[in-house]
Amino acid sequence: MLLARFSEDRLSSLWKSGKIVGGVYLGRGQEALSVSLGLHLRPGDVYAPLIRDQAGRLAFGEPLIDGFRTYLGSRLGPMRGRDGNIHRGRPREGYLAMISHLGCMVSAVAGSLMAKRFHGDTGVVGATCIGDGGMSTGSFHEAMNLAGVEKLPLVVLAVNNQYAYSTPTTRQFACKNLVDRAIGYGFAGHTVDGTQLDECLATIGHAVALARAGKGPQLVVGTVLRLAGHAEHDDASYVDPKLREEKIAADCLRLAEEKLLAEGVLTSADLATMKSQLLTEIDDAVSQAQQEPVPDAGTEDWCALSSRHLVDGFNG
Amino acid sequence: MPLIPIIMPQLGESIAEATVVNIRTQVGDLVNSESDILDVETNKAVMSVNVPCSGKIASLTAEVGHSYPVGTALGALEVTAEDAQRHGNSATPAPEPEVEIPAGKTNDATVKKEDIQVAPTVRGLPVPAKAQGASFISPRLKARMLELGLRASDLSGIPGSGSGGRVTVDDLEKYLAGLSKNRTTPASRMRIAVADAMRRSWTRPLATVGLYVNLDPLLAHRKISQPKPGPTLYVIRALAVALGEDSIAAGRLVGANIIHPNSIDIGFAVEAADGVLVPVIRNVDQVALKDLVEEYSRLVELARSRRLPPDTFENSAATVTNFGTFGLTWATPIPLPEQSLLLGLGAGRKAPHWDEEIEDFLPITEAELTLSFDHRVIDGGAAGKLLTRVASLLITPEAL
Amino acid sequence: MSITYLEAIREAQARALADDPRVFIYGQDVGEFGGAFKATKNLAREFPGRVLDAPISEDAIVGTAIGAAIEGMRPIVEMQFADFSSVGFNQIVNHAATLFWRTEVSCPITVRLPSGGNLGSGPFHSQCMEALYAHYPGLIVMTPATVEDAYSMLLEAVAIDDPVIFCEHKYLYYHLKAEALPTDALPAGKARIARPGRDATIVTYSAMLHECLAAAEELALDSYQIEVVDLRTVKPIDTDTILASVARTGRLLAVGEAFPWGGVTAEIIARVATEGYELLDAAPQRLNARDTPIPYHPNLWAAHRPTSPAIVNALRNLLRL
Repeated sequence: MLLARFSEDRLSSLWKSGKIVGGVYLGRGQEALSVSLGLHLRPGDVYAPLIRDQAGRLAFGEPLIDGFRTYLGSRLGPMRGRDGNIHRGRPREGYLAMISHLGCMVSAVAGSLMAKRFHGDTGVVGATCIGDGGMSTGSFHEAMNLAGVEKLPLVVLAVNNQYAYSTPTTRQFACKNLVDRAIGYGFAGHTVDGTQLDECLATIGHAVALARAGKGPQLVVGTVLRLAGHAEHDDASYVDPKLREEKIAADCLRLAEEKLLAEGVLTSADLATMKSQLLTEIDDAVSQAQQEPVPDAGTEDWCALSSRHLVDGFNG
Repeated sequence: MPLIPIIMPQLGESIAEATVVNIRTQVGDLVNSESDILDVETNKAVMSVNVPCSGKIASLTAEVGHSYPVGTALGALEVTAEDAQRHGNSATPAPEPEVEIPAGKTNDATVKKEDIQVAPTVRGLPVPAKAQGASFISPRLKARMLELGLRASDLSGIPGSGSGGRVTVDDLEKYLAGLSKNRTTPASRMRIAVADAMRRSWTRPLATVGLYVNLDPLLAHRKISQPKPGPTLYVIRALAVALGEDSIAAGRLVGANIIHPNSIDIGFAVEAADGVLVPVIRNVDQVALKDLVEEYSRLVELARSRRLPPDTFENSAATVTNFGTFGLTWATPIPLPEQSLLLGLGAGRKAPHWDEEIEDFLPITEAELTLSFDHRVIDGGAAGKLLTRVASLLITPEAL
Repeated sequence: MSITYLEAIREAQARALADDPRVFIYGQDVGEFGGAFKATKNLAREFPGRVLDAPISEDAIVGTAIGAAIEGMRPIVEMQFADFSSVGFNQIVNHAATLFWRTEVSCPITVRLPSGGNLGSGPFHSQCMEALYAHYPGLIVMTPATVEDAYSMLLEAVAIDDPVIFCEHKYLYYHLKAEALPTDALPAGKARIARPGRDATIVTYSAMLHECLAAAEELALDSYQIEVVDLRTVKPIDTDTILASVARTGRLLAVGEAFPWGGVTAEIIARVATEGYELLDAAPQRLNARDTPIPYHPNLWAAHRPTSPAIVNALRNLLRL
């Protein structure tokens, strides 16, 4: 989580100093939820993170430098400059690269799970994340329904961080609680306080275990407050200041640190060392990525098909 | 009673519309097939519109000053049922009458709802029909011609089997295949250059006027001159003096303007192997004849030895050619593409000339002058005036 | 023995399922019911567990196919009507079509679109959507016009590693028959000279091929030999074959059943005008459906899209130019 938080802080400052082209999307405030999902997944599982899952991605095993390479436009990143920021992944390793249309990744994970079922793989889980806003799309609805019909071992982590860009939940959904939708889709539903790391680990772990055991698809709804703008170009001035006083506005990272220190699991020295090590790691990754070559339009292979013999010929 | 339309008739090949200039009848008039219902104007000619049979004018929708396409209904004629059946062909409905547009929306207070299909390029002149048929050269044909180094004028001898009589690639290929049976000699670069110049020149409407001139005064003057100007030089100088008085004939029509020459520079034709060179003497109107001789001789020499520097054959106002040296009496020479005039001198010969005073024929040496001109710039009258002036200058050579 | 266009499609799917365990079919009513047009009749029984009924969720159906393809399967998706694929358009053009470009992982899905008009089918059961999909990079769009091509091109579509939009024409399902299934075929991406000619070239695809052939027959009575080119695939377009044909004839008419703005006919003309301008004896022409939604009533439908008399007219005009 610390790594996620620090990396994102770094991304933010890189963006503010003009070193990043395009949007920067942070998951500040929801690291506990995200990392819990990532930690409970194993090789062989399928994971489709969304825009605020830096913590989950790192937990699932994404190399730290992947994110920096993608944001900083290094040709050596997984997307090779062809897509940027959080639109990254390594599909062959079960780590899907999202497309911008929210809700679309749910059916992709469902499809991967169906393939694994065809292959006879058991004990695998597919996981994806979505926000309170993304759950409004038709894409999400169709995919949830389909996964329910197929009884797939799918875990959907829905993070209700109170805002979808500038839209508050009162304008986003009419049901009382997002978890109420689970029943409509044939999913088992769970809720969790997203500010409490230990609860997140427990609840999400439980949901993943259920799915893995063949108990059908699971919807986990975690509640937090988004502690950043929609993207770094957004100052979130529309957020209701009263919300910032509430429990949900607590920083899960700070709470976790406090708890670990209080319970004696870590000392302040340990924590300081850890932080310093992580920052060094980040520095190294960033400077490496910054020195790497960027894409060159002249040497770029402008081909969108893997079947090269079927490329259409256009003169000029 | 049934009605038949009064139709704008077909006024000539490739005329698509005409302007109403005068309405001679009114609603209610009884007319027949001889009656002139109204007058329309096409290309400076005014023609009248008639009806196919007798009847009473029921309506006249045409308006003076407006143009209507061929085939439009200009009004309606009340006729018998029998006539209606025989003559009641369908016509294109007449355009809607003028529509008032509130001031402030357009510059004009009214907008003419003129015909949708036809916009005259020049008011009152006929609009040519869409370019197709014999003159249309398709991209494919153009490409083939380019490959073969041919021009549109090379196609003129080829019968076209294509749509509207146009030459197709097949026609071209057949023609060329046919030519291979003939003896062929290659054309020199000079020949091709002259061909190109003549082709470009010929795109204009050229005409020629002629006049006999008495050469005896010129020949006598020549005899006593030192150095001796050639007969051609006399003509060059005379032309220059005449043009110096009025240069319009040497003007060039570009768009809607006549471009006058800046200086009266005259070129003259010199035969060189397989072609003609035209060196130019500058400001001939300002130099006396005797002072031109040296320059003239120099240029002739350079031309014959093909050593003319480029500045000596550019930019002349007119050209003189003496085909009399070949024994020719008369010709219609073609002005250079960049010029509007070419004055030719034919061979001198002894001819009887009626002398009014002695009421008998006297032998004189005479030659014919022919002046070819671009008919877009001047008409026969002006050409004649110029030629007459040149001739009058030639019979008083001491003033040249 | 004769085989219809539809049966050829079914045979191809059966063959694909038999030859490759990675193939499965997913779509509405494709299972026990055999599909709305019976394109998958008996296949669910023959290949248990590999021909699955999907809910009415075109977006999720395509998304599922993509996810399965990422994990190594070769799904065939049947859209019940091409017209409904617009609900899954996003997944097709933004996910499937971009996957290889973005991630180097190819997406070997085949999306079958029952396309084109039939008597009484109306605005939402008649569309031809090949132009929309061809527009997006990363897709292959096939438009088979013959029974043989319906068979061999569908097999090839499944074998191709990239997303293939397979526009099968509903009218041809039962109206077109062949003697037997083919043993060999032109590869995808190559157009076929369906009828050699000399005086003009028609470039067309799918059901319009047959209207064009009929028109060519009629003009043959007036001694005009019209060459007809069947594109077979509209993305990629076999520009070379088209240009070679126009080089022979000098005149071009592009005919398509789809709406007139943009589209395959516009693309053909653009290519010939830019790359083969000097081959032309006359301005290239095109004939498409009208710029309105597809009408329901047979009288209106008959006048909405090109039919052989309209093609004959267009050809006569072209030949006069």
